[in-house]
Amino acid sequence: MLNTGFIIPGFKEENMSKVNLQINTGRRHDSGFSFSQDKSMAQVAEAIRSMPANVTDFRCPTCGNIYASLAELRFHCKKAHTDSVLPETVILLINGMNCEVLIEPHWTLKRALQFRLGLTGAKHMCDRGVCGSCTVIMDGRAVLACTTLVSECEGKCITTIEGIAADPKWKPLVDAYCRWDAMQCGYCTPGFLVSAKAILDKNPHPTEQEIREGLAGNICICGTYPRHAAAILEAAAKMAKEV
Amino acid sequence: MADLAGINGLRENFKVVGQRNLPGVLSHALATGVAKFGIDYVRPDMLHAKFLHSPYANARVLSVDTTKARSMPGVVDILTWEDEDIVNLVSYAEHWGAPRPWLDNIADQEGAEVAVIVVAESEDICEEALRQLQVEWEMLPHVVDLHEGKKTDAFVIRPQDRSTPAFGAPAPGALPNPPKQGNVAYSNVIQGDIEEGFKQADHIVQYDMYMPAFASLIPNPPGSVAWWSNDFYHGEGKTLHIEGAVRERLPIARMYDMPLEKTVQEGLFMGGRYCDWGLRRSQEITPLLAKRTGRPVRCVMTREETFDSVIMKQRYMYLKVGFTKEGLITAIDDFSVSDGGIWGSSTFGHVGDQKQGPYNTLKCKNISQRMEIVDSNRYKMWVSGQHTPFNWDIVTLALYMISEKLGMDPIEVARLNLHGPSSKDDINPVPSFEACVAAGKTMMDWNWHLSGTKKLPDGRMHGMSFRYQMCPRHSVSGYKCRLEFRDGAVHMPTQGPVFGAYMVEPNAMVAAEELGLTYEDIKVDFHYAAKFSPVGGGSDGSTASAWAMKECANSLKKQILEAAIEYAESWPQMMMTPLNDPPPPEPGPFKGLRPDELDITDGKIYVKADPEKSVPLAQATNRDLVATYSGRPPLAAWLVGGCGNILDTMNAVFCEVAVDTDTGDVEILRFGAVVDPGKALRPTSLESQIDQVMFFSQGSQLLEDFVFDQRTGVKLNSNMIDYKKPTMLDVPVVEHALLETRSGNGAYGASGISHSMANTHLVITAIHNAVGVWVDPPATPDKVLAALGKA
Repeated sequence: MLNTGFIIPGFKEENMSKVNLQINTGRRHDSGFSFSQDKSMAQVAEAIRSMPANVTDFRCPTCGNIYASLAELRFHCKKAHTDSVLPETVILLINGMNCEVLIEPHWTLKRALQFRLGLTGAKHMCDRGVCGSCTVIMDGRAVLACTTLVSECEGKCITTIEGIAADPKWKPLVDAYCRWDAMQCGYCTPGFLVSAKAILDKNPHPTEQEIREGLAGNICICGTYPRHAAAILEAAAKMAKEV
Repeated sequence: MADLAGINGLRENFKVVGQRNLPGVLSHALATGVAKFGIDYVRPDMLHAKFLHSPYANARVLSVDTTKARSMPGVVDILTWEDEDIVNLVSYAEHWGAPRPWLDNIADQEGAEVAVIVVAESEDICEEALRQLQVEWEMLPHVVDLHEGKKTDAFVIRPQDRSTPAFGAPAPGALPNPPKQGNVAYSNVIQGDIEEGFKQADHIVQYDMYMPAFASLIPNPPGSVAWWSNDFYHGEGKTLHIEGAVRERLPIARMYDMPLEKTVQEGLFMGGRYCDWGLRRSQEITPLLAKRTGRPVRCVMTREETFDSVIMKQRYMYLKVGFTKEGLITAIDDFSVSDGGIWGSSTFGHVGDQKQGPYNTLKCKNISQRMEIVDSNRYKMWVSGQHTPFNWDIVTLALYMISEKLGMDPIEVARLNLHGPSSKDDINPVPSFEACVAAGKTMMDWNWHLSGTKKLPDGRMHGMSFRYQMCPRHSVSGYKCRLEFRDGAVHMPTQGPVFGAYMVEPNAMVAAEELGLTYEDIKVDFHYAAKFSPVGGGSDGSTASAWAMKECANSLKKQILEAAIEYAESWPQMMMTPLNDPPPPEPGPFKGLRPDELDITDGKIYVKADPEKSVPLAQATNRDLVATYSGRPPLAAWLVGGCGNILDTMNAVFCEVAVDTDTGDVEILRFGAVVDPGKALRPTSLESQIDQVMFFSQGSQLLEDFVFDQRTGVKLNSNMIDYKKPTMLDVPVVEHALLETRSGNGAYGASGISHSMANTHLVITAIHNAVGVWVDPPATPDKVLAALGKA
C-alpha cells in the first residue's frame, strides 16, 4: 500500500509534469511559449494519446490508499469505510479509444473526463445541464457531460472536442471558428464547437435559423452568438467542396 | 482633436491593421479544447478544499466544533478563522472599503464563505465534512430591500465599516460627502446653481425608475490549483505554482512572501474577467493549504457560489429635468438610491465618477447629483464591467423625456445639448458625434415618432430609441513593450494569462504594420514573467498599448536597418566563421547606404531609391536584436483637461422594438451601433465586443434580475436555470458601422470603446416609445401588461 498516488491512473509524476507542460503551455523557450495552429493540433493528439487505457493504481476515493486491483480496493472500502459507496470501473469508448476508468457510481461523465482521462475540453460551468459548455457527442447525439452519469456511458461511442479537433475532416470547422472570432474568452467555445459538429452531422447544409436552433442550448456570456452562424456556414460550404 | 503623436501616427497605407478574420493567437488552443483554464488543472495526489457557506443572509458564527468532521476518513485538514495561519493571511489583491480579516466569522450574504475551510481527498468528502460541523450561528437582521435598509431605525448591518465611497469621492476642493449614517453612505456632486437653472426652465419633467442588478457571472467559476516544488528551472528553494490566480501573480507572491520570480503561473487563459480583477478566496487560499498538507490543492467555486457578484448594482433613480421650450437643458436634479452591496464592494459607478461621465458632455452647468449608497446583504460588486459605468442612463432618459415632451427627435435634442470639443461653452458637437448620428440615421432608416403612435402591420406597437456616448477611455496604463529579432524572425514576448478581448493581436498587427511584415510573421511568445501586458481598460488597453508597441516596432526597425548596412559593410569579416557553421547569407545591396535610405515591406529590406534592390529580412543580418519601449500615448485629451469637458470620439446606438400589447411580449427588432473607434485596429473583435454589450443590454432590460426572499434574505435564482441569460435564439440582429475619424489617442488615432458602450435604458425607452408607459426593467411580459393596466 502507498500513501500517495496519482489522480490519473497509470501516470508517473515525471510523465505527468511533461504532459502538463506540453498541453498547457506549448513549447518552453527562454523567451516564452509560442502558439500556433500546428502546436495546438499536436497538443490535441498528445491529449488523446495520453488517455490511460487501463487502471493501474486503484486509489481509494476516501483515504487515498492505492491497491493493485479493483477487488482489493472494494474489499478495503467495505472494510474500512462502511458508509462509503464502492468504486467500480467502466470501459469508455472515447475518441476511438477504449479506456478503463475508475469511478464512483455518482460520478458524471464530465468528472471522469477531467479527473481520470485528462480531457479538459468539456468545461465546468453551470453544472446542471443548462449552458452546454460540457457538451460531448454520445452515439451521435449531443449530450451534456455534467448531467450524464458515467456509469451510463459504458459501451457508447463518445466524442469530445479533442476527438473532433484531431479529425482532419473537421479542420474547416475549427479554422472557421478561429477566423470568425467565434470565441472571446473561449471558455464556452469547445461546447459550441461540439454542438456545431452535431448540427453538421445531421445536416451538412444548415440554414442560419437551423444553426441558431441547434446552438440554443449553448450559452456564451461574451456576446459571440452571431459569429457561430458565420463560422458554421463557412465551414459547411468548405466541407461540401472537399467531399 | 486628433492626437496622433508618435511615429507614423498619420499613416494612411495600412496592409495589416484593419484586416478582418485574422485568427487570434490563442484561438486554435481555445477552439480545440487544449487551452487550460486554472480550474482545469489536475495534479498528481491532489487534494480538494471547500469553504463553509452561510445559509443566512446576515449572521455570525459564534463557535464551531470540528471534532466530528476531523474524524471523518479522507479529511486531511480543517482550518477556522481563529487558526493562526488564517489570522496571518493578508490579501494584496484589489479591495474596497474598510480593512477586514481575510476570513472571519461574519457572513454578510447568503452563500458567503465564512469561518471554516475543509481540505479532503475529494470534493464529496469536503461537502460531507462541512455538513458534519457543529456550527453555532447568531442570526442577525438583514437588508435586501434598499428602502428598508436606508430607514433611520434600520438595523446597522456593517457597524465596523464606516468608509465612504472611494470612487465616489468628490473632486479636490469640493465639499466632502456627508459621513455615513446607519447603512447609508453618500456620494454627492453639485455643479452650478440648481435653483436658478429650474427658474430658467420652461418645462420640468420627472422620472422615477428601478434598475435591476446584473450578474457578472464569469464563465469559468473562480478557483485555483496550487502546489510547491523544488523545480530547478526556477532556481534554489521552493517554487510556488498557482494556476487560476488570473493576472494577479504579484499579490499572490506578496501574500505568501515569495519572490515574484519563484511564483509561477504558466496557464494562459483566465476567461471572461472583464474589469473584474478581484481575487476570490478560492484563488488565494490554495498555496497555504498546499504548504500545510504537502500536496497540491484545488479549490473551485460552484456556479451557484459565483452568483455572489454583480457588475451593475440595483438602483432606484429619481430624475428631474428642467429645459427650455427649444429643448435646451437648464437644470438636472438627479437623486438615486444605490446598492452598496456587502462589505468590500467596489463603489465604482457612483456619482463621483462623473468626470468620465455623461453630464460633462452637456452644455448644462446646473447639475445636482446625489446618491445614497445603502449597505446590503445582497451580493458583492467587484468592479463595474462594460455594461453600465458612469450612469449614462440618466442622460439617455433626460433626452428622451425632452423629445417626448416637445415632439422633437431625440437626436436633435442631443445635438442641441451636447457641447463642443473643448468646453461646455463650445456650441457645436464634435465631428465624431455628427458622423455617428448621420451614419446611424441611414442605417436605421431613422424616422422618429412620438410614443404610442406607430403600429406595425402585425398589430404590435413600434418603438425606437437612441443614445450617444463619448468614449471614456483610461489611457493611464503604461506599457513595457519588447520586440526581439532573432533567427530571422520577430518575436513579441507577452505576459500571460490573457482574458477574452483580443488585446494581444492588435499589438502584433501594429508591429507587423510598422515592420513591413505580415501578421503571421510576428511570433507572440507567451510567458508569465514577460513584461509586456496589453491589459488596461478593454479596447483602451489594445489601442494604448498598440501605440507604445508602434514606437517599439520602429525602434526595432531602425536597428534592423542599421544592422543590415553593418552586415553589408563588414561582410568579408563575417566570412571568418567557424568551419562547421553554415555559411552566412550573401549581404544585401546596402553597402554605403544610410538607414534612412532603406525601408522594409513584404518581409524584404529594400533601397527606397531602387526597390528592385532588396533582400529578405531573414537574410539581411545575422545579429540578434532587441528593442524595448516603456510608456504610453499622450493622455486622452479629456483626462488632461480635467472634469471630462473635452470630447473627441463618440458613438451612437439605436434600438427598435415591437411590443405586443395583448401578451406583453417585447421583441427587439434590431440594434444599430455606430461607433467611432478612431481607427479600427482589429474590426472582427471590435464588432464582437459591441455585440457583447448590446446583449448585456438586452439581458438586463428584458430578462435578468436577482430575486430575493425578503423574509430570509436568501437569493432564489442563483443558478443558470432561474437566472435568465440571453441565448442564441433570444438575441436580435446587431448592425454595426465603424467610423474612423482618427481622433483618439491610441495607435493611429485609435480609441478604446469598451467603457463607452453602456446602454442602460436603451430598450426601456424604446418600449416607452412604443406604448407610452414606463416599464421597470427587466421588462418581462407580466410587467408590461401591468404597466398597460392589463394585469
